Amino acid sequence: MKLKVSDILRYALLAFLALIWLVPIVWLLATSFSKYTGMNTTTFFPTEWGIENYKNLLFGADSVAQFPHWFWNTMVIAVFTCVISTAFVLMVAYATSCMRFKGRKALMNISVVINLFPGVLAMIAVYFILKSFDLTNSYVGLILVYSASSGLGYLIAKGFLDTVPVSLREAAYLDGASEAMVFFKVVMPMSKPIIVYTVISSFLVPWMDFVYAKMILNSGVSSQWTVAIGLYNMLEKSLINTYFTQFCAGGVLVSIPISILFIIMQKFYVEGVTGGAVKG
Amino acid sequence: MKKGLVSVLLTASMASMLLAGCGGGGEAADTQGQAGAQTGEKQNVQLTVWGAENDQAILKEFADSFAQEYAEYANFDIQVGVESESTAKDTVLTDVEAAADVYSFASDQLADLVNAGALQPVDDMDQVLQMYAGKTVDEVKQSNTEGSVDAAMMNGKLYAFPRTADNGYFLYYDSNVLSEEDVKSWDSLLAAAESAGKKVGMTLASGWYDASFFYSAGFTTSLNEDGSTSMDWNKEADYSGVDVANAMIHIASSPAFMAIADGDISNQLASGQLCAAVSGVWDSGVAESTYGDGYAAAILPTFTVAGEQVQQLSVVGCKLVAVNAYSENVGWATLFADWITNEEAQAKSFAQNGTGPSNVNVMNTDAVQQNVAIATLGEQTNYGVVQSVGQNFWDPAATFGEMVATGVLKEGDTAGIQAALDTLVDGVTAPIQ
Amino acid sequence: MEKAKTKSAAVFAGIGHYFGDFGRAVKDGDLFVKLSLLWMGAGYFRRKQYIKSILITIFEVLIIIYSVVFGLQYVPKFGTLGTVKREAVFNPMTMKNEFNQYDNSFMILLFSVITFVIWAAFLAIYISNVKRAYELQKMAENGEHINTFLEDVNTYRNENFHKTLLALPVAGVVLFTVVPLLILVLVAFTNYDQQHMPPGELFTWTGLTNFINLFGGGGLTITFGYAFVRVLLWTLVWAVFATFTTYIGGILLSLLINHKRVKGKKMWRTLFMVTIAVPQFVSLLLVRNFFANGGIVNTICANIGLTEFLRNAGIISTSYIPFLSSPGWAHVMIILINIWVGVPYQMLIATGALMNLPTDQIESARIDGANPTQIFRHITMPYLLFITGPALVTDFVKNINNFNVIYLLTQDVYTTTNQALANSQAKEVDLLVTWLFRLTQEYYNYKMAAVIGIMVFIVCAGFTLVAFTRMTKGNREEEYN
Repeated sequence: MKLKVSDILRYALLAFLALIWLVPIVWLLATSFSKYTGMNTTTFFPTEWGIENYKNLLFGADSVAQFPHWFWNTMVIAVFTCVISTAFVLMVAYATSCMRFKGRKALMNISVVINLFPGVLAMIAVYFILKSFDLTNSYVGLILVYSASSGLGYLIAKGFLDTVPVSLREAAYLDGASEAMVFFKVVMPMSKPIIVYTVISSFLVPWMDFVYAKMILNSGVSSQWTVAIGLYNMLEKSLINTYFTQFCAGGVLVSIPISILFIIMQKFYVEGVTGGAVKG
Repeated sequence: MKKGLVSVLLTASMASMLLAGCGGGGEAADTQGQAGAQTGEKQNVQLTVWGAENDQAILKEFADSFAQEYAEYANFDIQVGVESESTAKDTVLTDVEAAADVYSFASDQLADLVNAGALQPVDDMDQVLQMYAGKTVDEVKQSNTEGSVDAAMMNGKLYAFPRTADNGYFLYYDSNVLSEEDVKSWDSLLAAAESAGKKVGMTLASGWYDASFFYSAGFTTSLNEDGSTSMDWNKEADYSGVDVANAMIHIASSPAFMAIADGDISNQLASGQLCAAVSGVWDSGVAESTYGDGYAAAILPTFTVAGEQVQQLSVVGCKLVAVNAYSENVGWATLFADWITNEEAQAKSFAQNGTGPSNVNVMNTDAVQQNVAIATLGEQTNYGVVQSVGQNFWDPAATFGEMVATGVLKEGDTAGIQAALDTLVDGVTAPIQ
Repeated sequence: MEKAKTKSAAVFAGIGHYFGDFGRAVKDGDLFVKLSLLWMGAGYFRRKQYIKSILITIFEVLIIIYSVVFGLQYVPKFGTLGTVKREAVFNPMTMKNEFNQYDNSFMILLFSVITFVIWAAFLAIYISNVKRAYELQKMAENGEHINTFLEDVNTYRNENFHKTLLALPVAGVVLFTVVPLLILVLVAFTNYDQQHMPPGELFTWTGLTNFINLFGGGGLTITFGYAFVRVLLWTLVWAVFATFTTYIGGILLSLLINHKRVKGKKMWRTLFMVTIAVPQFVSLLLVRNFFANGGIVNTICANIGLTEFLRNAGIISTSYIPFLSSPGWAHVMIILINIWVGVPYQMLIATGALMNLPTDQIESARIDGANPTQIFRHITMPYLLFITGPALVTDFVKNINNFNVIYLLTQDVYTTTNQALANSQAKEVDLLVTWLFRLTQEYYNYKMAAVIGIMVFIVCAGFTLVAFTRMTKGNREEEYN
């Protein structure tokens, strides 16, 4: 260990960066334990600490804070979204990566073109399509919005599947396996990282979206909301002073499961995202 | 064909109403009997109502009492939902058909809602109100303050039921720091605040607040039938527009003045650095807890325009209750809207939530008069204007306020200010699209 | 250029073949092939593929029923988008409003487009069906084996497996992305705005008026063209900075963490990844309050005298530091905050790439006497760039459409002091997408929003085209096959 100075510098830099990255998060955490309900603008840490915010959020549901409902709604939507999205993404990825058919290139080019349009533009039309199927104010509608078009995001997964050696598949064909068998028995087992990656990223969508959800769940019944609209609503001008710290507490509660998911799946996530981003 | 049928039905019912009117009360029940007979025994009526977060509980109570009151005519299933009164328009206009049957909104959204055909005119519902609520539309108008009824009218028609008349602003101050004399004019107010090392807060970057200076000096805005706005702020009224802008800049550039972002007043009040702030009843709680025994309120101060003192006016607005023109049960929706805005309901709202009533009788009760904030607002209403503007007003007006607040405009720079006012008027009066 | 020409020639040749084959099938086909022009099941029926024949007949009947019962209610009105305005009369007997048979322009547009899409799909199936019937005829003539129904079904697990895989995802994309986009593209040619909002009002076709207005031709929207140029410029500046700062930042951070002398790599990575785990609407709304005019950072800056210092230096004219409320400051802050949001993602990608470094190359370079700097410059860095480079293109497009960061940081808190922008409801910090979002959500100006949306598409398409032709991406996938 000769270059001690550079080591220290390196650690100091890392620590400094980590500090910057964590300051807002620490503030979130600290504020969520504040006894004062509004936004604290004078001191970084709350003057009085307490766990009232969590108590209110979890057990004292009023019309504004229905956190347990929201959490459950979002969980249900997220689970279905992630199953459908993952299936769609893998299906499209396999078809475009491992199979050769007429119109494959055209299909891929069209998907690139579609991705160039700003998504928010089409919101109103999506809303009325759902409405004509009577799917507004329903979780089915929201799940469809999140997952129906997910096939478009196949590029990363395709990039990953491109790296699966073609010889493996050829061997399977020689053994008389059907294309479907190859898909399920040969390619899927080798694609764990990309499956994990797709599952995580599609699972997160309903937790993050406040635009479509607000538009589609428009009955005004707050117990039907998702976490995102519920928390977003707490920052309304007339509510922010009473609910800001509960908003922070809600933010913390949402982040915990996601963080755990990330930490456990870190290795796969990294492999998945690079396998794809890389060669996609 | 269908239209013909409708008008036949209508004339028939009119005729029967006339008869009922001549024959006295007994026959009115008869008409209702007919209605019942036509549609089978008791209808099932589903209604949804949207209101602000803090009104949820009371709306539920109203829903129950309404269902009980009219239980003989129909089975009611009334669902209460949340929709902020300040953004109700955005949600409603996205899809009118999916909006609640009855909802509460701030009066500045009336024009847009009417233009989109989203509101059922209350005038058309006179018959229903007479039959079931025992009152006429004229009585509804008379029982509420003139200002609140004006705010609910457009093109000579009443489009919504006034519910509150508390959407105006005035001055909260800490009487331990400022005296009653200090708060009479902006000059003395800012001087006193400066010597006390405190600040006076007001929102400037909002068309709702910064317009008050212009209205005070005799300028106007008005709403045209196509939803566009007329505005004369770049011209001469009692004073010139530049004079008013100069006066605003003079106030804003005082070291004791603090321009606060729209909606951030309560935060700043709570932080304790303000000895006075321009705000409305929604901040009474914060103001009271911050100022403690010094909690006091007064009407807006005077300000100096071209060397003269001018009383500052407040823009006064109301919360209105709308009946959705696309409601399945427009008749019952109207009755419910009346139910949650009538005298008893307003009295109850005041008692439970502290909402400032628009009903004349409720307003004159002792309890209301003793509430510092609401009483001051009542006083301020004498120096109030109803703001009639279209959607193109808000962004340019907010920008003008921000230019004053951040010092983009300089006091005395006549040419620059005049140019800014001209651009402002151009933007505000642009045709709607 | 040459390449492009041959490509488009190939496309046209393909289309020619497609219809040529159809014509030949109709001309040379036997009675049943010709009959299948009317009854789609005829060809299969003749070749004893009865189940297939029944299925395709049911399909044909369903399409006809749909067209007659539903589609034809709307399609004939597509030319005018409706003519009958809604009128309501209240009937006190029933306590309900009674309406006339009014037209809803948006529904006409929506269902017409859906019907067109269905008809287009039907046409494609119809043509290939006739061709298939002719193929079957030929196969029968040559005495080839004709598949039984089970055998046909089996192909969907083998050579036709891609159809099985793609059916649902493509249907989803068509219904939830393609159709809505088509509708909004069409809206750009109508007068759908607050004055013409269905169901109360009708809207109709206005040709290119909106495009002319955008570029200042109409006279009505003097400032719209100006605002568009301003917003477009910032959108591009933002996209460039947002893409490259996070990209470079991510690579540097991952190099720092993955340096062989740094211990606790996983812990460091996790620290940075916490920001990914907090949903953006929480973290960004929080950061926005953090840097608000009356926020905590401003309080601290005022307490340590920084505000006073900047004020005296003439840098700010307000009693606070306008982090997110004045143009220059806000632009810089938004990019900085975006670094905070985006670097951890890029760090993950770069980490993954570093893990796959070609170790044999590095080893042999070391044996050849290369020092660490040389290895880094000639092996690690080129490899990283090679691997993560292509993602830059998609990142750039994503950033042009990066709604969340800008919207969450500036909505309701940023007031512009540029009057020309304010007059067209734009702000200095708006991206084209946030502007068009506000135009639809707050001003119901769908027609201009649609025009802006098309412009966004053109910008992105132009950029992508240039980038992709430079990178000749198409061949990469074959390397692995």
